[in-house]
Amino acid sequence: MEMQYNNNNNGYGPEEYMIQEEDWDRDLLLDPAWEKQQRKTFTAWCNSHLRKAGTQIDNIEEDFRNGLKLMLLLEVISGERLPKPDRGKMRFHKIANVNKALEYITSKGVKLVSIGAEEIVDGNVKMTLGMIWTIILRFAIQDISVEETSAKEGLLLWCQRKTAPYRNVNVQNFHCSWKDGLAFCALIHRHRPDLIDYSKLNKDDPLGNLNLALEIAEKHLDIPKMLDPEVTDLANTAVCGGRLFMTRVSCYYHAPHDPEDIINTPKPDERAIMTYVSCFYHAFAGAEQAETAANRICKVLGVNQENEKLMEEYERLASELLEWIHRTTPWLEKRAPESTMTAMRCKLEDFRDYRRMHKPPKVQEKCQLEISFNTLQTKLNISNRPAFMPSEGKMVSDITSAWQGLEHAEKGYEEWLLSEIRRLERVEHLAEKFQQKVATHESWAQGKDQLLTLRDYESASLTEVRALLRKHEAFESDLAAHQDRVEQIAAIAQELNELDYHAAGVINEHCQTICDQWDQLGTLTQKRREALERTEKLLETIDQLFLEFAKRSAPFNNWMEGAMEDLQDMFLVHSVDEVQNLISAHDQFKTTLPEADSERQAILSIYNEVQKIAQSYGISSKLTNIYCDITPAHINQTWEKEMSRQNVNERHRRQFAAQANAIGPWIQTRMEEIARSSVDLAGTLEDQMNQLKQFEHDIIKYKPNIDKLEGDHQLIQETLIFDNKHTNYTMEHIRVGWESLLTTIARTINEIETQILTRDAKGISQQQLNEFRSSFTHFDRKKKGGMETDDFRACLISMGYDLGEAEFARIMSLVDPNSSGRVTFQAFVDFMTRETGETDNSEQVVASFRILAADKPYILVDELRRELPPEQAEYCISRMPPYKGPDGVPGALDYTVFSTALYGESDL
Amino acid sequence: MMPFTVNLIGPSPWGFRISGGRDFKKAITVSKVNAGSKAETACLQPGDIIMEINGLNTGEMLNVEAQNKIKSCTTQLQLLVER
Repeated sequence: MEMQYNNNNNGYGPEEYMIQEEDWDRDLLLDPAWEKQQRKTFTAWCNSHLRKAGTQIDNIEEDFRNGLKLMLLLEVISGERLPKPDRGKMRFHKIANVNKALEYITSKGVKLVSIGAEEIVDGNVKMTLGMIWTIILRFAIQDISVEETSAKEGLLLWCQRKTAPYRNVNVQNFHCSWKDGLAFCALIHRHRPDLIDYSKLNKDDPLGNLNLALEIAEKHLDIPKMLDPEVTDLANTAVCGGRLFMTRVSCYYHAPHDPEDIINTPKPDERAIMTYVSCFYHAFAGAEQAETAANRICKVLGVNQENEKLMEEYERLASELLEWIHRTTPWLEKRAPESTMTAMRCKLEDFRDYRRMHKPPKVQEKCQLEISFNTLQTKLNISNRPAFMPSEGKMVSDITSAWQGLEHAEKGYEEWLLSEIRRLERVEHLAEKFQQKVATHESWAQGKDQLLTLRDYESASLTEVRALLRKHEAFESDLAAHQDRVEQIAAIAQELNELDYHAAGVINEHCQTICDQWDQLGTLTQKRREALERTEKLLETIDQLFLEFAKRSAPFNNWMEGAMEDLQDMFLVHSVDEVQNLISAHDQFKTTLPEADSERQAILSIYNEVQKIAQSYGISSKLTNIYCDITPAHINQTWEKEMSRQNVNERHRRQFAAQANAIGPWIQTRMEEIARSSVDLAGTLEDQMNQLKQFEHDIIKYKPNIDKLEGDHQLIQETLIFDNKHTNYTMEHIRVGWESLLTTIARTINEIETQILTRDAKGISQQQLNEFRSSFTHFDRKKKGGMETDDFRACLISMGYDLGEAEFARIMSLVDPNSSGRVTFQAFVDFMTRETGETDNSEQVVASFRILAADKPYILVDELRRELPPEQAEYCISRMPPYKGPDGVPGALDYTVFSTALYGESDL
Repeated sequence: MMPFTVNLIGPSPWGFRISGGRDFKKAITVSKVNAGSKAETACLQPGDIIMEINGLNTGEMLNVEAQNKIKSCTTQLQLLVER
C-alpha cells in the first residue's frame, strides 16, 4: 500500500479545532453525560499507569483529593521522583501534596489556567477532569508548547498518514471519524496485520468493528478498553455533532448501558478519543522506533562488514600481485647466457609470451587494485569512516615502486636478449667463417709439407733444379698470399674470443695448430729454397765448369777434330770419361736452354694469362683470389642473396610503419576523447558513463590491430632490423600507449562511478522531494517559507518521531543553528536527508543501541538476539566488550565502546 | 594561541581520544579525555588541536595513521598542542 498524503484537510483548517475548544467552556463541562464519559475514560487511563505502582482509583474526583495518588501517577508517567509527600491527614497537608503535584506539572512547561490545589482537594469535578486532561495531553500526547494545537494536529496527521492506504477510512477529526470503528482497525492492521483481517470488516457493523479493535488492543497491545463501543456507534445515530454523543462514551465505559443512551449521543468525546488514540500512538511508535533503531544498526553493521570485506580483498589482491612481482623480477634480472641461438630464441619466445599473455592480466589486476582502493576510500569517506591504511608493505606506494622495479627489469632484459641474440648470430657466423677458411686453408696446406721435404733436387740437373726453383718461387708467392688468410683466421679466432664464444677453446687450439703449421711451412719453404739454391749453385758451378769445359772443349773440339787427324797424337785428355762428360754436358746445356726458356715463357705467359683473366673479371690481381673459393659465380650468388634480404627487410619496415602510423594517432585520439569527456559538463553523470562505456567497447574491438603490429614487430626483430625510417613510433611506444589507454579508460570510468556513488549517497529522489515539499507546505502556516519551532515539532510527530525534550533540542540546534526560531525548507530537507540518508555517526548508532537496550548504558545478549537478525546479533555479541560501569550486571555488554570503534575511534 | 608541549610518561594507555585527519579534512583534535588518566593529569583538554606527535607534523596524516603513531609509543609521548 502506498503512503498517500491525505489533502482532504484543506477545507477543515485549524480554526475548527479552535472552535471546538472554545465550545467547551465551563458551562458545557457541567453536562453530566459528557462528564461521565470523560470521567470513565480518564479513570481507565490513570489506572493503566497506576497499576504499575500497584494501585488504582475508583472515583476520579475523590481519589485524587489528598494528592497522594496524584503524585504517584505523575511519578509513574514521567519516571522521575517528586518531592516526598506530607503524610498528614489535615487539609493543609493535602493542599501541600496537591501543590507539589501541580508544581511538578508546571515545571514541565504546562500552564495551568485557574486550576488550584484547593479546588482539587475540595473535589471539584470539572477542575479535576481538566487537570487530568492536561496531564494526559502533556505526557501522553507529546510535549506541549503554549498552544495545544501543534501536538494534537501532529497526532491527527499521524492518524491520517497511517490510515491513508485504507480507502474506506477518512480521519478528519477526533470524534465522528472514529465512529464506525474502521479507523481503529486500520491503525491496528497497519502496524500488526497479523492481529486483524481487515478485508473481512464491514462498514455497516460499527459495533463489531469497535469491539474487535478494543478487544485486540487490550489483549495484544496492552491498551485497556477506554471507550464504549455503543457510544461511538454510528448506526444508531442520525446526526454527527452535538454533545450528547460524548456522554454515551462515558456511560458505556465500565458496564453495559441502556441502549437508549446510544441514541442520545451522536458524537463521541474528542478528548476521550484522543486519549485512546494516543495510547495506540505510543504502542506503535515505540515499536517503530525500536525497528528503526534495529534497522539503523543493521545498516551500519552492513556497511562495516562490506568495508571490512573490501579491505581484506585489497590486502589479498595486493599480496598476490606483490608475490607475482617478486617472483617475476628475478627472472627478468637473470643474465645467464645461452650457447646456442635456438636456446636464446627460446628465451625470447618466453619473454614474448610474458609480454603478450602473462603480463596484461597483471596490468589489469594492478589497475583493478587501484580502482578498488579508490572506491573503498570513497565509500569510507561517504559513510563517515576513517580512511583505510593498508598494512605494512602493501601500501599503494609499495606496489607502485615494486611495479616500477619490474618494468625497469623488463626493459633491461629485453635489451639484453636482443644484444645476446645479435652476439650469438655474429659468433655463429664467425665460427662458420672460421671453419670455412680453415677448411680451405687446410685443404690447400694438405701435403705441402711433404712436397717441401722432397729431395728431388738431389738427383736433378741444373735445369731441373732451376725449374724446381721457379716452381718454388711460385709456391713462395702463393705462400705469401696465403699469409693473409692465415692472419684472417687468427683475427677471427681473436674476435670469437672477444665475443665470448662458448667453444673458443677449441677454436684457439685449432688456430694454434694452424699457426704452428704455418710457421713450420715457412721454415720448410725457407729450407727448401736454401737447398735448391745451394744445389743450383753447385750445379751452376758444375755447369760453369762444363761451359768452361765446353768453351775449352770447342777449340778443343776443333782441336779434337783437327786432332782426330792426328789421332796418333795421344797427348789428348787424361780421360775419355772426361771428354765424354764434357760432350754430354755440352749437349745437355744446349737442350736445357730452350727448355728453361720455354719454361720461362710458359710462366710468363701464365702470368699474363692470369693478368688477363684478372683484368677482364675486375677482381683484384692478387694470386690468392684464384686459390680463394670465392669465385665470381659465388660472389654473384651472395650478392643476389644480400640484395633480396635487404628488400625483404625494407618490406617489413614498411609494413610495420604503416600499421604503427595508423595505431599511434588512433590511440592519441582516444586519449584526447576521454580527457574531453570528463571535462565536458553538458550531460549528466550517466550520460558521461555511457559515452565512456562506448569508448571502452571501441577500444576492446581495436585490440586485434595491436596484435597484428606485434606480429610485424616480431618479423623485424628476427631479421635483426634495428632502424625504421618510415615511422617515428617504436613497438615500445605503441605498447606503452596501449596499456596507458586501457588504464586511463578504466580509471576514468571508475571516477565517474565514484561521483555517482557520492551523488546518490547525499541525494534524494524526485518522489521524496515531493513528499518533503508537501509536509513542509502544510506546516508552514504563515506561508513565509519557514516553519516555526512548534510547527516543526508537529511535523516531526506526524512522521512518527516520538521525541523527548533533549532529542528535540538537539534536532533544533542542527536545523536552526542561529536560533532564529524558523526552520527553512533547505534546512528541513537537509535534516530529512541526513536522518534518512546514508551518513550516520557513532552518536546515532549509540542512540539506536540505547533504544534497543531500553535506555540502559549496557545491553544484554538476549536483547541483541531478540532485536537484531541472527547474523548481526552474533557479530555484535562477539565484538562487544564487557561493560565496566558501576551499574553493570554480569553479561552486560558495552555498546558505546563498540559503536565508536565502528567509526575507528578508540581510547588511546 | 601559542602552541605548547605536552609530555606524557609511559606506558600507555594515555586516556584520550582523537578525531579528524586528512581523510576527514579536519585537524587532529582531542575529542575526549578520560577522567583520572595521564592525559588529564597533563592538562590535555577536549578541543585541543594536536600539531605534532613526537616531532612529526600531523598536517597530512590520516586518522588511523595518527592513532597508530600514538598507540605505538611505549616510553614517552610528546605532543605539540594548540588551544
